[in-house]
Amino acid sequence: MIEVKDLTKRYGSKTVLSHVSFTVEEGTILGFLGPNGAGKSTTMNIITGYLSASGGEVTVDGQNILDYPNEVKKKIGYLPELPPLYLDMTVKEYLNFMYELKKVSLPREKHIKEICALVKIEDVYSRLIGNLSKGYRQRVGIAQALLGNPPVLILDEPTVGLDPKQIIEIRNLIKKLGDNHTVILSSHILSEVQAVCERILVINQGRIVADGSPDTLSHQMTGNHKLLVRLEGRETELKQGLKTLHKVKEVQPLGEKEPGVFEFTVEGEPGADLRRDLFALASRKGWPILSLRTNDLTLEEVFLRLTDGQAAAAQKEGESA
Amino acid sequence: MRAIFKRELRSYFSSPIGYVCVAVLLALFGFYYAMVMNSRSSSYITSVYGTMFIWCMMIVPILTMRSMSEDRRNKTDQALLTAPVGVTGIVMGKFLACVSVFGIALLGSLLPALVISFVSSLNWVTVLGTVFGALLYGGAMISIGVFISSLTQSQIISAIGTFAASMFLLIVDQLSGSVSNAVIAKLIGWISFNSRYTPFTTGVFNVSSIVFFLSVAAVFLFFTARRLESRRWN
Repeated sequence: MIEVKDLTKRYGSKTVLSHVSFTVEEGTILGFLGPNGAGKSTTMNIITGYLSASGGEVTVDGQNILDYPNEVKKKIGYLPELPPLYLDMTVKEYLNFMYELKKVSLPREKHIKEICALVKIEDVYSRLIGNLSKGYRQRVGIAQALLGNPPVLILDEPTVGLDPKQIIEIRNLIKKLGDNHTVILSSHILSEVQAVCERILVINQGRIVADGSPDTLSHQMTGNHKLLVRLEGRETELKQGLKTLHKVKEVQPLGEKEPGVFEFTVEGEPGADLRRDLFALASRKGWPILSLRTNDLTLEEVFLRLTDGQAAAAQKEGESA
Repeated sequence: MRAIFKRELRSYFSSPIGYVCVAVLLALFGFYYAMVMNSRSSSYITSVYGTMFIWCMMIVPILTMRSMSEDRRNKTDQALLTAPVGVTGIVMGKFLACVSVFGIALLGSLLPALVISFVSSLNWVTVLGTVFGALLYGGAMISIGVFISSLTQSQIISAIGTFAASMFLLIVDQLSGSVSNAVIAKLIGWISFNSRYTPFTTGVFNVSSIVFFLSVAAVFLFFTARRLESRRWN
């Protein structure tokens, strides 16, 4: 549906995006994750045609935005970081204006009514946008993106500035929209991306540093398979026993957690799954397993590791250059 | 383009700007008219209209100052530029809305002439010619104002810039007299809006002047469109 190839954007000598490539399949909810200033908004602005790239190209449904600007723009509903609202208009006037601006051909009143019901702004329909709260403004912004029912929705930090209840509402709305739209949303809040997106692109300093589903992403980053296990027994015996496991790389005691119960991290060789062997060993030796869990990183740790690693690498690059 | 035109026109009259502009123009014009009528006779009405464009220039910067600057400042340009409308459509919509407000003010200025026509014979050709000329002059000036407004996010700078430009064009005639270099003098004479406008005040329908003003408007609207386009690149 959306294909981004080798996208580069420079402002003077500052490179804000460098060789970003990815494709988004139809009906996916893709999350753009990255610290502030990573290039999320820039990428979105380029996809929607607000900015031009210094290099690379974007195609939506096989059409390049430079060759078919109006066709492509009609397919995209865009909510920028700051909703583009005219504060001197009422919600009704504004949505009607956007309806005309986007040259929507759906039955006007019915379509606008439906969208208002979807984002729950019916009760402020005839109020001035300038008098609305941030949450309502954000929703009016989402409403204008939905006008014309475009197949692609690009939402730049859609839940910023909302209260927790509204955040949950908007997330549910986005999930619902994801059933029949291709959605790209950006956020620097991990739990949000984790809750809503099927696929995550982590972007940092203008580069894509990771790409995958929330689960594979945290799995990948851990590298080796790591288990956190609590066993009852004598510490030295337990440690010796664990070390005899097939394909085990390292056993690290974490101390006594309960009386007579010791915790260990057991790291296996890449690709090895130690859980079954561990169970067999414990039952043979008569050590009760009191807890066992994989010690994969949370998305938060993944994110920090990715972005920190990148920053460090970039710094090194800078120093050597 | 129609959507933008309608929105802009409505926003002039949903805020005080539109009313203030029209009112100020009519008040200045009415005051001048009353002064002239007081000290002279109704036959001077055509010369009253002849100097009208000076008043017109007062409101052009106010009309155009927000046209492009405000959108950029409030980021509403993101809605316009990501909508399936070309930059020319955006610029034309805004330009035509300004010209319409200006036109409404000019229509109002016909009132004194209407009153005079009841009590004495009036040369309607001259009056209407003058108003037509003022509309062209104003249109060209508005296109310059819209362009200046696209250069800055600040409405104040935009207004002052347009005001300076219109002042320059008003006094450029005097400059040409004081310049000794023939080429420069000719050049200055060529860009003089004033000399193009004068024929209309005598009721002459001057085609070359019409072409001149329309060309100026076209050139600056083109510049504005390019300016919007170029912002995407840097």
